[in-house]
Amino acid sequence: MTEIEVKNISFSYEQKIPVLENIAFCAGTGEAIGLIGANGAGKSTLLKLLVGLDLGYTGEIRVGDVVLGKKTLAAVRKKIGYVFQDSDSQMFMTTVEEDIAFAPRNYGLSREETALRVERALEQVHIKALRDKSIYKLSGGEKKLASIATVLSMDPDIILMDEPSVALDPKNRRNLIRVINELKGIKIIASHDLDFIWDTCERTILIHNGRIVCDGDTEMILRDKELLEANGLELPLSLYIRR
Amino acid sequence: MNKIDGAISQFQSMDSMAKEDRWMNQIHPSIKLFLTVLFIGLTVSFPKYNLTGLFGMILYPFVLFQIGELSFRESLYRLRVVLPIVCIVGIANPFFDRAVVTRIGEIGVTGGVLSMLTLMLKAVLSVLASYLLIVTTSIEKICYALQQAHFPQILVTEVLLIYRYISVLLAETRRVTQAYHLRAPGQKGIAIGAWGPLVGQMLLRSMDRAERLYQSMCLRGFDGTFHLKEKSHVRRTDILYLLIWTALLLILRLFPVLEWVGRWFVR
Ligand SMILES: Nc1ncnc2c1ncn2[C@@H]1O[C@H](COP(=O)(O)OP(=O)(O)OP(=O)(O)O)[C@@H](O)[C@H]1O
Ligand SMILES: [Mg+2]
Repeated sequence: MTEIEVKNISFSYEQKIPVLENIAFCAGTGEAIGLIGANGAGKSTLLKLLVGLDLGYTGEIRVGDVVLGKKTLAAVRKKIGYVFQDSDSQMFMTTVEEDIAFAPRNYGLSREETALRVERALEQVHIKALRDKSIYKLSGGEKKLASIATVLSMDPDIILMDEPSVALDPKNRRNLIRVINELKGIKIIASHDLDFIWDTCERTILIHNGRIVCDGDTEMILRDKELLEANGLELPLSLYIRR
Repeated sequence: MNKIDGAISQFQSMDSMAKEDRWMNQIHPSIKLFLTVLFIGLTVSFPKYNLTGLFGMILYPFVLFQIGELSFRESLYRLRVVLPIVCIVGIANPFFDRAVVTRIGEIGVTGGVLSMLTLMLKAVLSVLASYLLIVTTSIEKICYALQQAHFPQILVTEVLLIYRYISVLLAETRRVTQAYHLRAPGQKGIAIGAWGPLVGQMLLRSMDRAERLYQSMCLRGFDGTFHLKEKSHVRRTDILYLLIWTALLLILRLFPVLEWVGRWFVR
């Protein structure tokens, strides 16, 4: 069983201006958490810290019973799949298939198991046809789907996604919602697509200027027009229509 | 298609050629790497006036182009930037070494000219051999072979990253120049004043992206070792290929084969 515990994290990039301040929350097994907030609120930064891409923070991050640090980096990362906001930065092998197979191979899975994982990941996001395509030749949305597949093949206990629904057409977006809802582990999804959060996460954390403003039930937060507007956001589209 | 697009597609097509399933591509990467190094070593070690001996070495790229079903013209086109540069080596030799060492008909050939030609041929052959390795072996396999040869892991990773970095830099260059031209319509080239920030941006952005790519590799368990799709064991064909070429190359280096052949024809 894996859980994440974030204890009073504060972080700033090179200047002294804090990007995250006193962030604290816990995530239990199977929990899906939406991370929302205006541009520059600090969502991507928080996700990056959770996978240890920058260790220059104060506070403590605990994954399972391991404290994230230089020595435990490899062990922690093995459990976490991270989908970058910018999919161009995510893939580096020549073909989609090779890229999806990268993680399983590195984690020492057998060839058969790797092939199985690749197959499943391709199938999950409906990109079997793109298997042999060069990653330089994918469309924006295809890139996003492929980069999600590269993480699904890791079969991680924890999956962090930064703007997963960006660039997807309605059908692929709906499919992705289904895929996420079927995943077992902890999911933390940063997104401006509040309807997407609505459909995938039962809990939401609202960040504003690097601080957690609100942490609670998704439905409650996303229906709260005043709260959202005070923090630079707007009601989800579907709620507008329903009114 | 502008120049950058051209460069990108050249680079990618070399990459995808290396991925194809042809006979040459299936030879074990370590063996191809070894033969390439051997070939270059032997080629470079020819004495500076021994042009005839060196000519024999053309056999290797010639045969490889044949069995690899590669187009020689295409390779010349791809190497059009590199070849003239490597040919510059030795261009000064004729001015220093003016003693006549041999004659072709009535014309005296000076040592300088001969050594210049030898040097140029050495350079061209070495470039061709490297090219042949690259278009028949994917970068992952080359890195794998280097790893098998017990190269320091950090160097092998470096090779891979530099290779990746080239495509990132090219793609970034394309984006920046496209963005520039879209907002400076009808302009030919890029205004001098914009060069500074443009190049700066390009380097910063591509470094940034290269770093993120490396992070992405680490996040997915990369620890410096390379894993290939198939278990690449050495087949009997590979051994045969290795033995034949090693023997041929050594013979070509140690014995004046071309002279024998010439004499046999003249007789
Ligand atoms: N590499 C960096 N160096 C310095 N400052 C940075 C860097 N990356 C982000 N920032 C700053 O940190 C703050 C938070 O950025 P972050 O990317 O976490 O925001 P975000 O919530 O993901 O925004 P968005 O919704 O636009 O993706 C921003 O003010 C941004 O300018
Ligand atoms: Mg972000």
